[in-house]
Amino acid sequence: MKKLFLIAVLIVATIILTSFLPEEKSLLKIEKEDAISEVLKKLGDTPIQHQAKFIKGVSSEIGADLALRGIAKKPNGGNTKKQSKHFVCTSCHNIVKEDPDLRVSDPQARLNYAKENGLPFLQGTSLYGIVNRTSFYNGDYDKKYGKLVEPARNNIREAIQLCAVECAQGRQLKNWEVESVLAWLWTLELRMEDLNLSEADYQTVNAALNNNGSKTAAIELIKSYYLQGSPATFIPPPSDRKVGYNLKGNPKNGKLIYELSCQHCHEDKRYSYFDLDDETLTFKHLDKHISKYSRYSIYQVARYGTPPMNGKKAYMPQYTQEKMSDQMMEDLRSYIESRSR
Amino acid sequence: MNFLEKRQNFIYNNLHNYLNNISSMKNQFLIIICVFFIFSTFQINAQDPVFQTFKDTRIINSHSVETVPDRKLDFRIGHRFGNTKGGWQTLYGLESAADVLFGFEYGLSNELTIGVSRTKGAGELSALISPSMKYRILHQKEDNSMPLSLTLMGVSTISTMKSTAGDELTNFDKFAHRVSYTAQILIARKFSQRFTLQIMPGYTHRNKVDFDDVNGIFSVGAATRIQINKVFGIIADATFLLADRPNEIDGSQKFFAPMGIGLEIDTGGHIFQINFTNATGIIENDYIPYTTSSWGDNEFRLGFTISRIFNL
Repeated sequence: MKKLFLIAVLIVATIILTSFLPEEKSLLKIEKEDAISEVLKKLGDTPIQHQAKFIKGVSSEIGADLALRGIAKKPNGGNTKKQSKHFVCTSCHNIVKEDPDLRVSDPQARLNYAKENGLPFLQGTSLYGIVNRTSFYNGDYDKKYGKLVEPARNNIREAIQLCAVECAQGRQLKNWEVESVLAWLWTLELRMEDLNLSEADYQTVNAALNNNGSKTAAIELIKSYYLQGSPATFIPPPSDRKVGYNLKGNPKNGKLIYELSCQHCHEDKRYSYFDLDDETLTFKHLDKHISKYSRYSIYQVARYGTPPMNGKKAYMPQYTQEKMSDQMMEDLRSYIESRSR
Repeated sequence: MNFLEKRQNFIYNNLHNYLNNISSMKNQFLIIICVFFIFSTFQINAQDPVFQTFKDTRIINSHSVETVPDRKLDFRIGHRFGNTKGGWQTLYGLESAADVLFGFEYGLSNELTIGVSRTKGAGELSALISPSMKYRILHQKEDNSMPLSLTLMGVSTISTMKSTAGDELTNFDKFAHRVSYTAQILIARKFSQRFTLQIMPGYTHRNKVDFDDVNGIFSVGAATRIQINKVFGIIADATFLLADRPNEIDGSQKFFAPMGIGLEIDTGGHIFQINFTNATGIIENDYIPYTTSSWGDNEFRLGFTISRIFNL
């Protein structure tokens, strides 16, 4: 009896003592598939403020439907009204990574990347990673939209509404629709593998995660690998449209721009009333209007876009300097001229 | 009469008698719907279909193979002025209107279009309401795996004018007397960016006709588009009647094949047409059976059509 009592005391004591032993923690390590927002959160960064609010009816599936088809199922049954008669989000924006290096906005690099990955080459910045940015409608967009950009510049919800109403020329989204779109956009957030970090960079971040390095420095390192906002510089057409930008054009590059960019909207009148096909008549028409001050001039529409009008609200957005360089404009021109003969 | 002519007459007379025996408008409507559904099973989903065989859903008078795209509304206004033979006294016909059309067509899908139009009417019947339907069965493909486009077109026309007394064409004892129908098979091929050709066999049935006229008329038409540049094109069409029909009615009216030629202008959102035609009516149930003007006697008129597409 005494022996049994002693054994029981020993077991209880062992349990009590071992519970005070320090736990052996496993080392934290980031994986390439990890979301950047999660890694930054682990490093102690302030979380991005525009997380989706999951109020009644909100889902990322509905957000995807609204973005990709313009129409979705209402929470109480039936379908929503079409957000825009003219466009969906993918009319102007990709939904995958479209820049090889997220630190710079290089239109030619983007065009090459689009060609390699079978993507369209579009005026709008990709929605992939938009939730990782902190500013929207940057740069010269206040020249186009005036005070409308002010609430949208640092607020993704306001930016979504501005796009829906002004760019897409559609209706304003309801709250649950905005949150659904935002929930869907969060499924497109940046991953560590998108940043092209070196092994040394990964080691720096892992060390900081495990309290062996500066977390602030690790946060800055990660954020230095992508832009917090998409720059936008409006530039005018060449002063002499007959001469152009005085650069030698590359028709092969121009062909890429025509097929991946112009025809994304204009082929078979997909998003436009003006058809752009591969017929000689079309190229002759474009060639004839290059130097003119009309909406058929590639300089005019690429640098200014087209305005909305009564009865024809859908309009073409322009290409900023970051979306189409002067050299690329001349490449497009040389392709049109070569096909018009 | 040789064997082929005898066979043709046999088929014509039997079909003609069958159609004449379908007296109820409801039965005729049901038949048209059934034909569309049957042919809808023949639809082939096209990869890289040829775009814009014609730029508009009409050529001069006749329909083209084109249907209105999905969720788009086509609004059109058509006008046929008076006969140029009137000379300076009528400003070469510009001071009068032979026919006027206001119409809408809507794309339920890329293949199926429904429409309704209101025309003044150029023949004896006026105040015409014409619901229509078009279904595209075949779409020419760029790789020529499908060399043709084929569309079925059906239009019925109801005269809403007041009934007159007596034994005239415009005395409507029954509602069915106000109604006429046309069905056509539109077959087209875009040979190149500059040239398109269309053939359209058809049948027009009028429930009430003059005593010595015929209710049913077979016809065959041809149409073309010749594109000059991106914006301008020349269009033309003609419809030839195959009816075993007297050339004259009441010793006075003579009937001629409606033919027209015109200029088509594509401005992006609008298609404009300016044309010359001997046809006075704009709708099939009007111009096919009731064209009494002759090109040979300088009896033609100026006309125009404006068409605008809206996104809905």
